[in-house]
Amino acid sequence: MNEFDKRTKDELQKRTEQDTYGLQDEIWNALEKELFSEEQPKKGEVKKMKKKNRVVPIILTAAAALAIVFSLTTDTGMAFIKGIKDMFVPEKEIIQSIEGQDEPTDVHLNEGTNSEYVIYVDETRYKMIKGEEADIITTIEPLPDRYPEVSMEIKQVADTKPEDLVGKIEADLKKEFPDLRAVETVTEPVEGYWLHGTTGSEWDSKVVTAYVISNGKEGSYVITENYFLEAAEGHGARFHHMLKSFEIVE
Amino acid sequence: METKDWIHNIQQGDKEAFRAFYEAYADYAIRTASAITRNREMAKDAVQETFIRVYRQIGSYNSELPFEPWFYRILTNECLRLLKKESPLSKYEHPDLENEPSLAVESFDHLSDLYDTIQTLDDGHRIPLILKYVKGFTEKEIADILGLNHNTVKSRLFKARKRLKEQLDLIDKEERSQ
Repeated sequence: MNEFDKRTKDELQKRTEQDTYGLQDEIWNALEKELFSEEQPKKGEVKKMKKKNRVVPIILTAAAALAIVFSLTTDTGMAFIKGIKDMFVPEKEIIQSIEGQDEPTDVHLNEGTNSEYVIYVDETRYKMIKGEEADIITTIEPLPDRYPEVSMEIKQVADTKPEDLVGKIEADLKKEFPDLRAVETVTEPVEGYWLHGTTGSEWDSKVVTAYVISNGKEGSYVITENYFLEAAEGHGARFHHMLKSFEIVE
Repeated sequence: METKDWIHNIQQGDKEAFRAFYEAYADYAIRTASAITRNREMAKDAVQETFIRVYRQIGSYNSELPFEPWFYRILTNECLRLLKKESPLSKYEHPDLENEPSLAVESFDHLSDLYDTIQTLDDGHRIPLILKYVKGFTEKEIADILGLNHNTVKSRLFKARKRLKEQLDLIDKEERSQ
């Protein structure tokens, strides 16, 4: 460190010294009150409250079915409701935490193939491409070649339950991600099996995060997020938030 | 205990681990916030909110990435949010960031020491400088914290240090002539 650097460092050290007096205890007291007072729900309780059922409750489905029957019998009803999708608002604003900063984002309702699920997509950044075998959410504009793939694929495997499928998905991912972590079960952003791996620790090392969840019947959905290490708290966090809105509607 | 152990225990809701983590990180967090906000109360609010966010959002931290830039990114964002609230036209978002660092004209003649000089640089140059000299972050880490390109940080630090040296020479010259 040269003389100039040392002088600057010392000066900042000296001039910020006085602000630390007393403030450390003052802040801790406020934190203790905010985070650990008895009125606050414990962490586990909050998580439990947040846990939600991924399949639209049967009572809502039944109500929607009745509404559809009604809609088929009257012109007014026909105009009133077009399907289960109408149970969801087409557009809404959500607050998502990106890199520790709350960010208000407009998200739009998108239907999956054959309207079997819905998901709210941040259409200012991403688009949903529907395919015969899988739907893909990816950046609106393709990223330059130097960046690894950024996408979230949603695929239904109608005839295999998650517990029977997860082993195969794990084996497939291990081909490209030999250091794939052991499979875990999660309740957020969706409830099911969680797989995660990277190809290294460089900024552009590939990252994969996959979920294998029930489709509410005898099959599964496999949701695979692809991004790279430097984008983990950007695209990775945005995919995570979008996936929180995933709902099976059939 | 290492940071990764603290993080693991904090994720389990362990208050003692959070306290130990706080003791280890609070001092530099307060110094950094104090230097960025130039206001004791604002620094207090920024640091307090940062630790609350860390406790509540520790689950969103990617353990494959270094912890300190993540922590200081939250802290810096919080300081900037409070500064913006205080003065909606934050200089940090000024489009002229790539130009020469500017000093506030009205205070130029009265700068008596290095700290005052740092504090009159525009935010785009002042904040990288604070992160470098208070906590000793590398250019790459500063780029991560501020969401900037590495070369942008390099260029801003170069310009800010150049500006600072010029002012320091002036101060030294004045002192010698007295």
